[in-house]
Amino acid sequence: MRAASALLVLALGGCTGTGPVLSPHLPQSSQGIGVELEDTPFLAQTEYQCGPAALATLLQDTGSAATSADLSTEVYLPARQGSLQFELIAATRRHGRLPYVIAPRISVLLEELRTGRPVLVLQNLGLRSHPAWHYAVVIGYLPDSDEIILRSGTTRRKLMAAARFLSTWENAGAWGLLVLRPGELPARPEPGTYLRAVADLESVGQIRAAGQAYAAATARWPANATAWFGLGNSQYRLGELEDAEHSYRQALRANSGYLAAHNNLAMVLAERGCHRTALDTLDQALEHSRPDDPLRRTLLQTRREILQQLSESGGQVDPVCNDTDRQP
Amino acid sequence: MNNRSATKIGIYALILQLLIATFPPTALAGLIQTADAIAAEDRSAARQQLNDALAREDVQRQLVQLGIEPDAAQQRIAALTDTEIAQLRQHLHALPAGAGVLEVIGVVFVVLLILELVGVTNIFSKF
Repeated sequence: MRAASALLVLALGGCTGTGPVLSPHLPQSSQGIGVELEDTPFLAQTEYQCGPAALATLLQDTGSAATSADLSTEVYLPARQGSLQFELIAATRRHGRLPYVIAPRISVLLEELRTGRPVLVLQNLGLRSHPAWHYAVVIGYLPDSDEIILRSGTTRRKLMAAARFLSTWENAGAWGLLVLRPGELPARPEPGTYLRAVADLESVGQIRAAGQAYAAATARWPANATAWFGLGNSQYRLGELEDAEHSYRQALRANSGYLAAHNNLAMVLAERGCHRTALDTLDQALEHSRPDDPLRRTLLQTRREILQQLSESGGQVDPVCNDTDRQP
Repeated sequence: MNNRSATKIGIYALILQLLIATFPPTALAGLIQTADAIAAEDRSAARQQLNDALAREDVQRQLVQLGIEPDAAQQRIAALTDTEIAQLRQHLHALPAGAGVLEVIGVVFVVLLILELVGVTNIFSKF
Protein backbone atom coordinates (compact mmCIF):
# COMPACT_ATOMS: atom_id res chain seq x y z
CA MET A 1 0.00 0.00 0.00
CA ARG A 2 2.87 2.30 0.80
CA ALA A 3 4.37 1.62 -2.62
CA ALA A 4 1.01 2.36 -4.19
CA SER A 5 0.81 5.68 -2.38
CA ALA A 6 4.27 6.57 -3.57
CA LEU A 7 3.21 5.78 -7.09
CA LEU A 8 0.12 7.89 -6.69
CA VAL A 9 2.17 10.88 -5.65
CA LEU A 10 4.36 10.36 -8.67
CA ALA A 11 1.45 9.91 -11.04
CA LEU A 12 -0.27 13.04 -9.82
CA GLY A 13 2.95 14.99 -9.56
CA GLY A 14 3.28 15.31 -13.30
CA CYS A 15 6.14 17.33 -14.70
CA THR A 16 7.77 18.94 -11.71
CA GLY A 17 11.31 19.89 -12.57
CA THR A 18 14.01 17.38 -13.27
CA GLY A 19 13.74 13.81 -12.07
CA PRO A 20 16.20 11.87 -9.97
CA VAL A 21 19.46 10.85 -11.57
CA LEU A 22 18.86 7.46 -13.13
CA SER A 23 21.32 4.65 -12.87
CA PRO A 24 21.58 3.54 -16.47
CA HIS A 25 23.51 0.36 -15.82
CA LEU A 26 22.32 -2.92 -14.44
CA PRO A 27 23.56 -3.59 -10.89
CA GLN A 28 27.02 -5.08 -10.38
CA SER A 29 25.53 -8.35 -9.11
CA SER A 30 23.94 -8.99 -12.49
CA GLN A 31 27.10 -8.50 -14.56
CA GLY A 32 28.19 -11.43 -16.64
CA ILE A 33 25.16 -13.67 -16.16
CA GLY A 34 22.21 -13.15 -18.45
CA VAL A 35 18.72 -14.60 -18.06
CA GLU A 36 15.96 -15.17 -20.58
CA LEU A 37 12.78 -16.95 -19.53
CA GLU A 38 12.01 -18.26 -23.00
CA ASP A 39 9.11 -20.43 -21.85
CA THR A 40 7.08 -17.40 -20.78
CA PRO A 41 3.96 -17.36 -22.98
CA PHE A 42 3.51 -14.57 -25.49
CA LEU A 43 0.07 -13.02 -25.89
CA ALA A 44 0.03 -10.16 -28.38
CA GLN A 45 -2.09 -7.27 -27.20
CA THR A 46 -4.95 -5.85 -29.20
CA GLU A 47 -5.84 -2.15 -29.07
CA TYR A 48 -5.26 -0.65 -25.59
CA GLN A 49 -5.29 -4.17 -24.10
CA CYS A 50 -1.72 -4.40 -22.80
CA GLY A 51 -2.99 -4.86 -19.23
CA PRO A 52 -5.14 -7.92 -19.95
CA ALA A 53 -2.43 -9.39 -22.23
CA ALA A 54 0.40 -8.87 -19.73
CA LEU A 55 -1.58 -10.26 -16.82
CA ALA A 56 -2.81 -13.26 -18.83
CA THR A 57 0.84 -13.91 -19.70
CA LEU A 58 1.80 -14.18 -16.02
CA LEU A 59 -1.32 -16.13 -15.06
CA GLN A 60 -0.68 -18.67 -17.82
CA ASP A 61 2.94 -18.84 -16.72
CA THR A 62 1.69 -20.09 -13.33
CA GLY A 63 -0.53 -22.73 -14.96
CA SER A 64 -3.78 -20.77 -15.12
CA ALA A 65 -5.97 -21.07 -18.21
CA ALA A 66 -6.99 -17.40 -18.13
CA THR A 67 -6.99 -15.70 -21.55
CA SER A 68 -6.54 -12.07 -22.55
CA ALA A 69 -10.25 -11.97 -23.38
CA ASP A 70 -11.16 -13.20 -19.86
CA LEU A 71 -8.90 -10.60 -18.33
CA SER A 72 -10.26 -7.85 -20.54
CA THR A 73 -13.67 -8.09 -18.86
CA GLU A 74 -11.92 -8.06 -15.48
CA VAL A 75 -9.48 -5.16 -15.83
CA TYR A 76 -10.14 -3.07 -18.93
CA LEU A 77 -11.77 0.35 -18.47
CA PRO A 78 -13.31 1.45 -21.78
CA ALA A 79 -13.59 5.15 -20.94
CA ARG A 80 -9.96 5.28 -19.78
CA GLN A 81 -8.78 3.07 -22.66
CA GLY A 82 -6.53 1.21 -20.29
CA SER A 83 -6.26 -0.78 -17.08
CA LEU A 84 -5.48 0.26 -13.52
CA GLN A 85 -2.81 -1.36 -11.36
CA PHE A 86 -5.30 -2.04 -8.57
CA GLU A 87 -7.51 -3.94 -10.96
CA LEU A 88 -4.61 -6.07 -12.20
CA ILE A 89 -3.94 -6.93 -8.56
CA ALA A 90 -7.60 -7.70 -7.90
CA ALA A 91 -7.94 -9.85 -11.03
CA THR A 92 -4.89 -11.86 -9.97
CA ARG A 93 -6.76 -12.70 -6.75
CA ARG A 94 -9.87 -13.69 -8.70
CA HIS A 95 -7.78 -16.35 -10.41
CA GLY A 96 -6.58 -17.78 -7.11
CA ARG A 97 -3.06 -16.37 -7.39
CA LEU A 98 -1.21 -14.13 -4.97
CA PRO A 99 -0.34 -10.68 -6.35
CA TYR A 100 2.93 -9.41 -4.86
CA VAL A 101 4.26 -5.94 -5.64
CA ILE A 102 8.06 -6.06 -5.48
CA ALA A 103 10.23 -3.45 -3.81
CA PRO A 104 10.80 -0.73 -6.43
CA ARG A 105 14.41 -1.58 -7.24
CA ILE A 106 15.95 -3.03 -10.40
CA SER A 107 18.10 -5.40 -8.30
CA VAL A 108 14.93 -6.97 -6.85
CA LEU A 109 13.39 -7.31 -10.30
CA LEU A 110 16.50 -9.02 -11.65
CA GLU A 111 16.62 -11.38 -8.70
CA GLU A 112 13.09 -12.56 -9.49
CA LEU A 113 14.14 -13.18 -13.09
CA ARG A 114 17.08 -15.23 -11.85
CA THR A 115 14.71 -17.45 -9.85
CA GLY A 116 12.72 -18.01 -13.03
CA ARG A 117 9.87 -15.61 -12.45
CA PRO A 118 8.80 -13.01 -15.06
CA VAL A 119 7.74 -9.60 -13.74
CA LEU A 120 4.84 -7.45 -14.94
CA VAL A 121 5.91 -3.81 -15.09
CA LEU A 122 4.27 -0.47 -15.67
CA GLN A 123 6.19 1.84 -17.97
CA ASN A 124 5.74 5.44 -18.94
CA LEU A 125 6.67 5.50 -22.61
CA GLY A 126 5.72 9.13 -22.96
CA LEU A 127 6.78 12.22 -21.11
CA ARG A 128 6.38 12.91 -17.45
CA SER A 129 3.96 15.72 -18.34
CA HIS A 130 2.21 13.66 -21.04
CA PRO A 131 2.45 10.09 -19.85
CA ALA A 132 1.74 7.08 -22.06
CA TRP A 133 1.26 4.21 -19.64
CA HIS A 134 2.11 0.73 -20.79
CA TYR A 135 2.23 -2.71 -19.18
CA ALA A 136 4.81 -5.22 -20.31
CA VAL A 137 6.40 -8.40 -18.95
CA VAL A 138 10.12 -8.46 -18.26
CA ILE A 139 11.46 -11.91 -19.10
CA GLY A 140 15.21 -11.39 -19.02
CA TYR A 141 18.26 -9.23 -19.39
CA LEU A 142 21.49 -9.28 -21.33
CA PRO A 143 24.34 -7.84 -19.26
CA ASP A 144 26.82 -7.85 -22.13
CA SER A 145 24.73 -5.58 -24.31
CA ASP A 146 23.11 -3.87 -21.29
CA GLU A 147 19.59 -4.70 -22.47
CA ILE A 148 16.28 -5.78 -20.95
CA ILE A 149 14.13 -8.39 -22.70
CA LEU A 150 10.36 -7.91 -22.67
CA ARG A 151 7.16 -9.43 -23.91
CA SER A 152 5.61 -6.14 -24.93
CA GLY A 153 2.58 -5.16 -26.95
CA THR A 154 2.70 -7.02 -30.24
CA THR A 155 6.41 -7.80 -29.94
CA ARG A 156 7.34 -11.25 -28.69
CA ARG A 157 10.96 -10.42 -27.85
CA LYS A 158 11.49 -6.72 -27.39
CA LEU A 159 15.01 -5.62 -26.55
CA MET A 160 15.30 -2.31 -24.74
CA ALA A 161 18.48 -0.57 -23.63
CA ALA A 162 18.72 -0.88 -19.85
CA ALA A 163 18.99 2.89 -19.44
CA ARG A 164 15.87 3.46 -21.51
CA PHE A 165 13.97 0.73 -19.65
CA LEU A 166 14.98 2.14 -16.26
CA SER A 167 13.86 5.58 -17.31
CA THR A 168 10.43 4.36 -18.45
CA TRP A 169 10.05 2.10 -15.40
CA GLU A 170 11.12 4.65 -12.81
CA ASN A 171 8.90 7.29 -14.43
CA ALA A 172 6.02 4.93 -13.64
CA GLY A 173 6.96 4.46 -9.98
CA ALA A 174 9.18 1.40 -10.56
CA TRP A 175 6.10 -0.76 -10.13
CA GLY A 176 6.59 -4.48 -10.62
CA LEU A 177 4.04 -7.22 -10.00
CA LEU A 178 4.64 -10.91 -9.37
CA VAL A 179 1.92 -13.51 -9.80
CA LEU A 180 2.59 -16.27 -7.29
CA ARG A 181 1.00 -19.66 -6.95
CA PRO A 182 -0.44 -20.11 -3.45
CA GLY A 183 2.39 -21.31 -1.23
CA GLU A 184 5.11 -19.82 -3.42
CA LEU A 185 7.34 -17.12 -1.93
CA PRO A 186 9.13 -14.33 -3.82
CA ALA A 187 12.89 -14.55 -4.21
CA ARG A 188 13.49 -12.22 -1.28
CA PRO A 189 10.16 -11.86 0.50
CA GLU A 190 9.58 -9.10 3.02
CA PRO A 191 7.35 -10.63 5.74
CA GLY A 192 5.12 -7.58 6.26
CA THR A 193 4.51 -7.03 2.54
CA TYR A 194 3.94 -10.73 1.92
CA LEU A 195 1.51 -11.21 4.81
CA ARG A 196 -0.47 -8.11 3.90
CA ALA A 197 -0.80 -9.46 0.35
CA VAL A 198 -2.01 -12.80 1.70
CA ALA A 199 -4.45 -11.12 4.10
CA ASP A 200 -5.86 -9.22 1.13
CA LEU A 201 -6.25 -12.49 -0.78
CA GLU A 202 -8.03 -13.93 2.25
CA SER A 203 -10.28 -10.89 2.64
CA VAL A 204 -11.77 -11.33 -0.85
CA GLY A 205 -12.73 -14.92 -0.09
CA GLN A 206 -9.81 -16.91 -1.52
CA ILE A 207 -9.55 -18.80 1.76
CA ARG A 208 -7.92 -21.99 0.54
CA ALA A 209 -5.28 -20.16 -1.50
CA ALA A 210 -4.59 -17.82 1.41
CA GLY A 211 -4.26 -20.80 3.75
CA GLN A 212 -1.56 -22.31 1.52
CA ALA A 213 0.26 -18.99 1.42
CA TYR A 214 0.11 -18.59 5.21
CA ALA A 215 1.38 -22.14 5.66
CA ALA A 216 4.37 -21.27 3.48
CA ALA A 217 4.91 -18.14 5.58
CA THR A 218 4.91 -20.11 8.86
CA ALA A 219 7.46 -22.49 7.36
CA ARG A 220 9.68 -19.59 6.30
CA TRP A 221 9.20 -17.47 9.45
CA PRO A 222 8.21 -19.87 12.29
CA ALA A 223 8.37 -17.08 14.88
CA ASN A 224 6.03 -14.74 12.98
CA ALA A 225 2.80 -14.44 14.97
CA THR A 226 0.83 -12.84 12.11
CA ALA A 227 1.60 -15.76 9.80
CA TRP A 228 0.26 -18.25 12.36
CA PHE A 229 -2.74 -16.06 13.08
CA GLY A 230 -3.62 -15.84 9.38
CA LEU A 231 -3.18 -19.59 9.00
CA GLY A 232 -5.52 -20.08 11.96
CA ASN A 233 -8.13 -17.79 10.40
CA SER A 234 -8.11 -19.62 7.08
CA GLN A 235 -8.34 -22.97 8.86
CA TYR A 236 -11.19 -21.67 11.00
CA ARG A 237 -13.10 -20.53 7.93
CA LEU A 238 -12.57 -23.91 6.29
CA GLY A 239 -14.03 -25.55 9.40
CA GLU A 240 -10.71 -27.10 10.48
CA LEU A 241 -11.16 -26.14 14.11
CA GLU A 242 -8.44 -28.25 15.70
CA ASP A 243 -5.84 -27.04 13.22
CA ALA A 244 -7.02 -23.48 13.79
CA GLU A 245 -6.64 -23.88 17.55
CA HIS A 246 -3.09 -25.14 17.08
CA SER A 247 -2.23 -22.20 14.82
CA TYR A 248 -3.63 -19.61 17.22
CA ARG A 249 -1.61 -21.17 20.04
CA GLN A 250 1.50 -20.94 17.86
CA ALA A 251 0.69 -17.28 17.24
CA LEU A 252 0.46 -16.74 20.99
CA ARG A 253 3.69 -18.63 21.54
CA ALA A 254 5.34 -16.10 19.22
CA ASN A 255 3.55 -13.13 20.76
CA SER A 256 1.77 -13.74 24.06
CA GLY A 257 0.14 -10.30 24.01
CA TYR A 258 -1.59 -10.85 20.64
CA LEU A 259 -5.17 -9.88 21.51
CA ALA A 260 -6.66 -10.85 18.15
CA ALA A 261 -5.24 -14.36 18.48
CA HIS A 262 -6.67 -14.65 22.03
CA ASN A 263 -10.06 -13.57 20.71
CA ASN A 264 -10.12 -16.03 17.82
CA LEU A 265 -8.73 -18.86 19.94
CA ALA A 266 -11.60 -18.25 22.36
CA MET A 267 -14.06 -18.45 19.48
CA VAL A 268 -12.66 -21.78 18.31
CA LEU A 269 -12.79 -23.13 21.86
CA ALA A 270 -16.38 -21.96 22.31
CA GLU A 271 -17.37 -23.53 19.03
CA ARG A 272 -15.93 -26.81 20.22
CA GLY A 273 -18.10 -26.48 23.36
CA CYS A 274 -15.21 -25.44 25.62
CA HIS A 275 -16.86 -22.28 26.89
CA ARG A 276 -15.05 -22.06 30.23
CA THR A 277 -11.61 -22.50 28.68
CA ALA A 278 -12.58 -19.85 26.16
CA LEU A 279 -13.58 -17.43 28.91
CA ASP A 280 -10.30 -18.09 30.77
CA THR A 281 -8.39 -17.27 27.60
CA LEU A 282 -10.26 -13.98 27.18
CA ASP A 283 -9.95 -12.99 30.84
CA GLN A 284 -6.21 -13.57 30.86
CA ALA A 285 -5.81 -11.59 27.66
CA LEU A 286 -7.95 -8.70 28.91
CA GLU A 287 -6.09 -8.58 32.20
CA HIS A 288 -2.73 -8.18 30.47
CA SER A 289 -3.90 -5.84 27.71
CA ARG A 290 -3.40 -2.11 27.54
CA PRO A 291 -6.56 -0.25 28.59
CA ASP A 292 -6.57 1.82 25.40
CA ASP A 293 -6.18 -1.12 23.01
CA PRO A 294 -9.00 -0.83 20.48
CA LEU A 295 -9.32 -4.61 20.22
CA ARG A 296 -10.46 -4.83 23.87
CA ARG A 297 -13.99 -3.97 22.77
CA THR A 298 -14.08 -6.95 20.43
CA LEU A 299 -12.80 -9.26 23.15
CA LEU A 300 -15.41 -8.01 25.59
CA GLN A 301 -18.09 -8.55 22.95
CA THR A 302 -16.85 -12.10 22.32
CA ARG A 303 -16.86 -12.67 26.08
CA ARG A 304 -20.51 -11.57 26.32
CA GLU A 305 -21.51 -13.85 23.44
CA ILE A 306 -19.73 -16.85 24.96
CA LEU A 307 -21.33 -16.19 28.36
CA GLN A 308 -24.71 -16.15 26.63
CA GLN A 309 -23.98 -19.44 24.84
CA LEU A 310 -22.88 -20.90 28.15
CA SER A 311 -26.11 -19.92 29.89
CA GLU A 312 -28.12 -21.29 26.97
CA SER A 313 -26.31 -24.61 27.20
CA GLY A 314 -27.15 -24.86 30.90
CA GLY A 315 -23.62 -24.33 32.13
CA GLN A 316 -22.42 -27.79 31.16
CA VAL A 317 -18.69 -28.26 30.63
CA ASP A 318 -17.39 -30.65 28.03
CA PRO A 319 -14.91 -32.89 29.91
CA VAL A 320 -12.68 -33.12 26.81
CA CYS A 321 -11.88 -29.44 27.15
CA ASN A 322 -9.80 -29.88 30.27
CA ASP A 323 -7.40 -32.09 28.33
CA THR A 324 -6.84 -29.41 25.76
CA ASP A 325 -6.59 -26.64 28.31
CA ARG A 326 -2.95 -25.99 27.65
CA GLN A 327 -1.25 -22.71 28.18
CA PRO A 328 0.23 -21.28 25.00
CA MET B 1 -24.75 -4.12 19.73
CA ASN B 2 -22.87 -0.96 18.89
CA ASN B 3 -22.81 0.89 15.58
CA ARG B 4 -19.41 -0.30 14.54
CA SER B 5 -20.07 -4.00 14.86
CA ALA B 6 -23.43 -3.55 13.18
CA THR B 7 -21.69 -1.97 10.20
CA LYS B 8 -19.06 -4.68 10.27
CA ILE B 9 -21.68 -7.39 10.11
CA GLY B 10 -23.33 -5.50 7.27
CA ILE B 11 -20.06 -5.52 5.36
CA TYR B 12 -19.58 -9.22 5.95
CA ALA B 13 -23.08 -9.81 4.60
CA LEU B 14 -22.23 -7.74 1.53
CA ILE B 15 -18.94 -9.52 0.97
CA LEU B 16 -20.57 -12.93 1.38
CA GLN B 17 -23.10 -11.92 -1.22
CA LEU B 18 -20.47 -10.91 -3.69
CA LEU B 19 -17.99 -13.69 -3.23
CA ILE B 20 -17.23 -16.29 -5.83
CA ALA B 21 -16.01 -18.81 -3.27
CA THR B 22 -18.46 -20.54 -0.96
CA PHE B 23 -18.15 -20.66 2.80
CA PRO B 24 -18.97 -23.32 5.33
CA PRO B 25 -21.83 -22.15 7.52
CA THR B 26 -19.80 -21.04 10.51
CA ALA B 27 -20.50 -18.15 12.85
CA LEU B 28 -18.08 -15.41 11.82
CA ALA B 29 -19.47 -12.43 13.70
CA GLY B 30 -16.67 -12.14 16.27
CA LEU B 31 -13.72 -13.53 14.33
CA ILE B 32 -11.07 -10.86 13.91
CA GLN B 33 -9.94 -10.87 10.28
CA THR B 34 -6.24 -11.10 9.52
CA ALA B 35 -6.30 -7.86 7.53
CA ASP B 36 -7.99 -6.08 10.44
CA ALA B 37 -5.47 -7.44 12.94
CA ILE B 38 -2.60 -6.24 10.76
CA ALA B 39 -4.26 -2.85 10.44
CA ALA B 40 -4.80 -2.69 14.20
CA GLU B 41 -1.07 -3.20 14.73
CA ASP B 42 -0.37 -0.36 12.36
CA ARG B 43 -2.18 2.57 13.92
CA SER B 44 -1.57 4.80 10.91
CA ALA B 45 -3.57 2.38 8.78
CA ALA B 46 -6.66 2.59 10.97
CA ARG B 47 -9.54 1.96 8.65
CA GLN B 48 -12.89 3.64 8.62
CA GLN B 49 -15.30 0.74 8.61
CA LEU B 50 -18.29 3.01 8.36
CA ASN B 51 -17.24 4.31 4.98
CA ASP B 52 -16.25 0.99 3.45
CA ALA B 53 -19.67 -0.07 2.22
CA LEU B 54 -20.45 3.39 0.87
CA ALA B 55 -17.07 3.54 -0.86
CA ARG B 56 -17.73 0.22 -2.60
CA GLU B 57 -21.05 1.47 -3.93
CA ASP B 58 -19.42 4.68 -5.08
CA VAL B 59 -16.54 3.00 -6.91
CA GLN B 60 -18.93 0.54 -8.50
CA ARG B 61 -20.96 3.46 -9.79
CA GLN B 62 -17.82 5.09 -11.17
CA LEU B 63 -16.82 1.87 -12.96
CA VAL B 64 -20.24 1.69 -14.59
CA GLN B 65 -19.82 5.28 -15.73
CA LEU B 66 -16.49 4.29 -17.28
CA GLY B 67 -18.22 1.70 -19.43
CA ILE B 68 -18.38 -1.48 -17.33
CA GLU B 69 -21.53 -3.60 -17.17
CA PRO B 70 -23.09 -3.42 -13.67
CA ASP B 71 -22.68 -7.16 -13.05
CA ALA B 72 -19.04 -7.12 -14.10
CA ALA B 73 -18.43 -4.01 -12.01
CA GLN B 74 -19.83 -5.76 -8.96
CA GLN B 75 -17.50 -8.72 -9.45
CA ARG B 76 -14.52 -6.44 -9.97
CA ILE B 77 -15.33 -4.55 -6.79
CA ALA B 78 -15.52 -7.82 -4.87
CA ALA B 79 -11.88 -8.62 -5.62
CA LEU B 80 -10.61 -5.30 -4.25
CA THR B 81 -9.71 -4.66 -0.62
CA ASP B 82 -11.15 -1.80 1.40
CA THR B 83 -7.85 0.08 1.22
CA GLU B 84 -7.75 -0.27 -2.56
CA ILE B 85 -11.38 0.82 -2.80
CA ALA B 86 -10.58 3.93 -0.77
CA GLN B 87 -7.70 4.79 -3.12
CA LEU B 88 -9.77 4.18 -6.22
CA ARG B 89 -12.65 6.21 -4.89
CA GLN B 90 -10.45 9.28 -4.58
CA HIS B 91 -8.20 8.87 -7.58
CA LEU B 92 -9.94 6.67 -10.15
CA HIS B 93 -9.63 9.30 -12.86
CA ALA B 94 -6.04 10.25 -12.06
CA LEU B 95 -4.41 6.84 -11.60
CA PRO B 96 -2.32 5.59 -14.52
CA ALA B 97 -4.31 3.37 -16.88
CA GLY B 98 -1.84 1.26 -18.84
CA ALA B 99 -3.01 1.27 -22.44
CA GLY B 100 -0.16 0.01 -24.53
CA VAL B 101 2.24 0.83 -27.29
CA LEU B 102 -0.53 1.25 -29.83
CA GLU B 103 -1.60 4.44 -28.14
CA VAL B 104 1.92 5.76 -28.31
CA ILE B 105 1.96 5.21 -32.07
CA GLY B 106 -1.17 7.36 -32.27
CA VAL B 107 0.43 10.22 -30.40
CA VAL B 108 1.44 13.22 -32.51
CA PHE B 109 4.81 12.91 -34.17
CA VAL B 110 6.17 15.96 -32.40
CA VAL B 111 5.57 14.30 -29.02
CA LEU B 112 7.43 11.23 -30.26
CA LEU B 113 10.25 13.47 -31.30
CA ILE B 114 10.40 15.10 -27.87
CA LEU B 115 10.21 11.63 -26.33
CA GLU B 116 13.23 10.60 -28.34
CA LEU B 117 15.04 13.73 -27.29
CA VAL B 118 14.25 12.92 -23.68
CA GLY B 119 15.57 9.40 -24.24
CA VAL B 120 18.77 10.83 -25.72
CA THR B 121 19.04 13.29 -22.85
CA ASN B 122 18.73 10.47 -20.35
CA ILE B 123 21.42 8.47 -22.03
CA PHE B 124 23.82 11.40 -22.12
CA SER B 125 23.05 12.69 -18.64
CA LYS B 126 23.90 9.46 -16.90
CA PHE B 127 27.08 10.75 -15.31
